[in-house]
Amino acid sequence: MANVKGAAVNRTAVDEGKPADWIPGTERQTVVDPMEMFHKLPREKQFITGSEAARESMRRANIDIAIAYPITPQSESMQQAGYLYDEGYIKEYYRAEEEIGTFSAISGASRAGVRSLTATSGPGLMRGMEAISSWPGARTPIIMLNMCRVINTPLAIQPDNIEMSFMLNTGMILLHAENQQDFYDYPLAAIMASEQVDVTLPACVSTDGFFVTHARGPVLITPEEFKLPPRDGWRSAVPAMDNENPPARISRDAPIQKSNFISYHMHSSWQQEVFAAVHRSAKYFRKYLGGLIEVVNPGAEEFIIASGCAVSQAREAVRQEGEQGRTVGLIKIKTIRPFPIAEIVEAIQGVKRILVPEFNQAGWLHKELCAVLYGKSTAVIKDGPRVYGGMTMPTEMVLEALADFRKEVP
Amino acid sequence: MLIQDNLILTRSNPSGQGGTQFLYRVKDYGLTALSGPQEEISMIHWEVEIIKFTSQKTAEFEVCHSTELADKTLKFYTDKSLNEFLQKAFQYFEELDTLEKMLPQES
Repeated sequence: MANVKGAAVNRTAVDEGKPADWIPGTERQTVVDPMEMFHKLPREKQFITGSEAARESMRRANIDIAIAYPITPQSESMQQAGYLYDEGYIKEYYRAEEEIGTFSAISGASRAGVRSLTATSGPGLMRGMEAISSWPGARTPIIMLNMCRVINTPLAIQPDNIEMSFMLNTGMILLHAENQQDFYDYPLAAIMASEQVDVTLPACVSTDGFFVTHARGPVLITPEEFKLPPRDGWRSAVPAMDNENPPARISRDAPIQKSNFISYHMHSSWQQEVFAAVHRSAKYFRKYLGGLIEVVNPGAEEFIIASGCAVSQAREAVRQEGEQGRTVGLIKIKTIRPFPIAEIVEAIQGVKRILVPEFNQAGWLHKELCAVLYGKSTAVIKDGPRVYGGMTMPTEMVLEALADFRKEVP
Repeated sequence: MLIQDNLILTRSNPSGQGGTQFLYRVKDYGLTALSGPQEEISMIHWEVEIIKFTSQKTAEFEVCHSTELADKTLKFYTDKSLNEFLQKAFQYFEELDTLEKMLPQES
């Protein structure tokens, strides 16, 4: 354990085999304003996997502690986190014993006021869901990376993002990365938004496993000499807990444990505040990511609305339609929570057809769009193509769905 | 990174299996270089197809296994080795185009 002095552990970097003059990587970095990092610093193009993009994001994120339990396809990223720990870019890192323990431990770390990161995939996320559900109410700005994978029986390790639907109503901030570039940018933006005093919520950045994590793509990255500002645990909606002198009762609101009208009312208002904080985070993502959505071909008569890898496949379909002389619009949704209702409504004025391709059986994004656009648009919103269980979505599948849709709704 | 000369398109793997595809074009010939996902990251490699374009204006093409360059899908394990191949292939496509134009045209 590098450079840690404590009652039980008093090992130094030298004990861990480092040279006497070793300086942790994070101490050689310079703190920069987030807007400087996101929009002004020069960037170098690298061709790297999503897992490596996550590593470079973590390197610049000024992370105090990372805790995770390995699961495919997340393991590669957290192996990379291990290298960062060895280089001194992450101050503390350990492998927990399973996901409930992982997500409970990371919650404790975050309550102590330090920047805390964890990562998981499909079944691991499901196992730790009870602990995850407690994060927003505890106002713990944890950053979680989620590499989506099939959760259902029969067992499979292939990409499928049904697990994201389980997080929609937890009160967490949710982002969906399309590619390796997003998996570099989004965690940094999510960290800064989640730690704002009027937000103070956990944030999860999901991406589709293997398609992004285990494949290379072009990524523009900022110089490694620069890092985000550290977390200020006292500047948050709920102040950090002094874990050296913990309170007698961990619950912040003891009366809420009772079963009476007052406790119900308190719980209700607490939940309202959590979900209001999700909405308040939108203004930060507008600044950091340049908007909650990306619109291609604004003003088109028909649109594809998608998130994650489905955007990449739709992007190519839109390009091929353009070669054939047809203009198809595309809306990429970056933030699933906060859901960009106003931006989408503005972008689809006058649109006749909206196609929603997804990598899951339930079609959660289609359902979400139908719910939020009810009464706000006259467009027909059609789900499809939908693939799941690790199936792929060739561009032709999107093109065929568009052609069928045009026949159904001329 | 692969060289950018004659690169006309970078896109996600159109088969939907993840990864990135680069399209290079020299006259009517070219090649696609695809880097797809691998469970073991160290096994990530390039799959290269020689292609012949079927349209002047668009990126429509057919896989071409009838040139001297390749009669099958090629594999490269490093960017460096593929970049060296690309440079040679671009010269070959230029010469092939010149030679094809010298041939009598079928009526």
